[in-house]
Amino acid sequence: MSQWLNQVIEQAKQVDDYLTPVRQQALKTLQTEGWPSQRSEAWRFTPLTPVTNREVQTAAADQAGEAPEVAGLNAIDVVFANGQLVTDLDNISWPEGVTVTSLAEAGQHSDDVAAVFGQVKPQRHLFGLVNDAVCQQGIYIDIADGAQVTMPIRIVNLATQDTDAHTRVLVRLGKDARATVIEHGTGDAQSMTTAFAEYDIAASAHLEHYRFAMFTGSACHVGGSHFKLGDHAELNSTLVGYGSQLSRVDVDIHHAGEFADAKMNAIYLLAEGELFDLHSTIEHAVPNGTTEENARGIIGDRARAVFNGRIHIHRDAQKTLAELNNRNLLLSRRALINTKPELEIYADDVKCAHGATVAEIDEGALYYLLTRGVPRSRALIMLNFGFIRELVNLMPNEALREWLLPVLSERFAKMEVR
Amino acid sequence: MLKVKNLHASVEDKAIIKGLNLEVNPGEVHAIMGPNGAGKSTLGYVLSGRDGYEVTDGDMTLNDANLLDMEVEERARAGMFLAFQYPVEIPGVSNMEFMKESVNAMREERGEDPLTAAEFLKKAKAACKQVQLPLDFLKRGVNEGFSGGEKKRNEIMQMILLEPSLCILDESDSGLDIDALQVVADGVNSQRDGKRSFIVVTHYQRLLDYIKPDFVHILADGEIVKSGDASLALEVEKHGYAFLGKKYEEAEA
Repeated sequence: MSQWLNQVIEQAKQVDDYLTPVRQQALKTLQTEGWPSQRSEAWRFTPLTPVTNREVQTAAADQAGEAPEVAGLNAIDVVFANGQLVTDLDNISWPEGVTVTSLAEAGQHSDDVAAVFGQVKPQRHLFGLVNDAVCQQGIYIDIADGAQVTMPIRIVNLATQDTDAHTRVLVRLGKDARATVIEHGTGDAQSMTTAFAEYDIAASAHLEHYRFAMFTGSACHVGGSHFKLGDHAELNSTLVGYGSQLSRVDVDIHHAGEFADAKMNAIYLLAEGELFDLHSTIEHAVPNGTTEENARGIIGDRARAVFNGRIHIHRDAQKTLAELNNRNLLLSRRALINTKPELEIYADDVKCAHGATVAEIDEGALYYLLTRGVPRSRALIMLNFGFIRELVNLMPNEALREWLLPVLSERFAKMEVR
Repeated sequence: MLKVKNLHASVEDKAIIKGLNLEVNPGEVHAIMGPNGAGKSTLGYVLSGRDGYEVTDGDMTLNDANLLDMEVEERARAGMFLAFQYPVEIPGVSNMEFMKESVNAMREERGEDPLTAAEFLKKAKAACKQVQLPLDFLKRGVNEGFSGGEKKRNEIMQMILLEPSLCILDESDSGLDIDALQVVADGVNSQRDGKRSFIVVTHYQRLLDYIKPDFVHILADGEIVKSGDASLALEVEKHGYAFLGKKYEEAEA
């Protein structure tokens, strides 16, 4: 058993609010299933030891720093500092059609929040259940049918020393609506945070989504972004992961409506002894859906990456087009990737492809660049950064692209090679 | 300029260069000829510092700086240029990006400011024109999908841009037809200014009709067995490497 989980359960028992029915259910599962063993498939390559015997702590919100600046992004920022909502939602002039509610003060919107809370996120995620049970901070964003929200909404999660924090993001995107949501988490000090987001995307709506899980050092983080797509809905999602003692993101995309289109790109860049784990599950429950998922990572030094990408095509999901690809570059002999793309197909008229590759540095190409006087660090960036940059360039938001490229290439330049 | 004394080098513990001596002074053109397996390409790799090519004995200096203390990129910035026999294809890195990075690394070494994009483009265009490479080759991946001749011309284009003090041409003639050979040779000759030195490594005498050497050395089994002037190359052309002994005669057949 885990001291941390026991303490969280005790904490959860004290919570009593309008979400209690869902919380009780989660609590029950947590109590029966308990802490996963190393044999548990979901945690096979990702040891939970950094959290198992953790003492739950609470750092004050005012200790957290400022939200990272993204020049030219021009977004509405909602900031959670050490798990506490520090943005005054009433002080923001929200675009037309957007209604935002704090989970802690849902008031008249309690029923709307309860209708979404825990409805998109599958119940199998242990830390998702933890979040269900104890999370009291979060926001619910409702975007009315047809609303075209051009200004991105960025939800920032800052974690500092001695933090245990649990936050939730709920988004309902109405029919034909359009919006951009960015989940941006950072932290490098000893902490444990969970952040789960649920997106209910109605028919013909379009969501542009980003999740930057930039936790490093001893900042442990487990979270998830979960999507439900209606008929003709479109999702364009980009995930960027750094590694820490424990950093794990679960993504679920559920094609609930026909002709929905999901594009998901993931980038991870790991250094030193970092760990990053991405699990994605795409459920094609109905016919005519399309999915394209590309996950690419560079792993240096003693870092470890785990990728598990599952595409599940149900028996009725004829005419599904699904592609899943995972490419990895190992910069050192001690770097490790455990990759497992999985296709499970029960329909007979579908077009699916999946693949995973692991490569090392091309010595011949590196030597060629060096003979022309190019510094070694620059040569490595030129040779190896290209396939990461390709995914960055596919991000629709220009300001985010221009912010992210130098951030990633700087991180890459510092990575140790063999 | 370049002084190589009693150089011994091995690859995977196999001795390839076995006591090689060579001195190249400013402005000189040295041709190194020899049969297959003599260590011609190895010499270029050893001089440039390629990983896996281990110097086991001897000295080599470039302008009195000890090459053995220098990394590959430091040797390049000290003025050494190696034109590859088989230039590497690097999809995903554009020729332009590569050369700009390279030219600016050289400029930094000399304490000069980096070129602006416009300044660089002007120089690159001129260099392309000189070796008759279409301008869109700058935008393409390094050597990606280039023909053999285009790759060799790209090497010379790089040489023109980087203005090295010592150029080592590793079989720059191999796989070229006579027109391409002429272009490559013209490119090289345009860079002869009385100060810049060249080591032209070649199997055949043909290239030396276009690039006139001051000295010709015959490399066999890891050492220079004979040196002379340009007439030595003609002798080899006429009689083959037979004078080296039966072993090489057979290798040539």
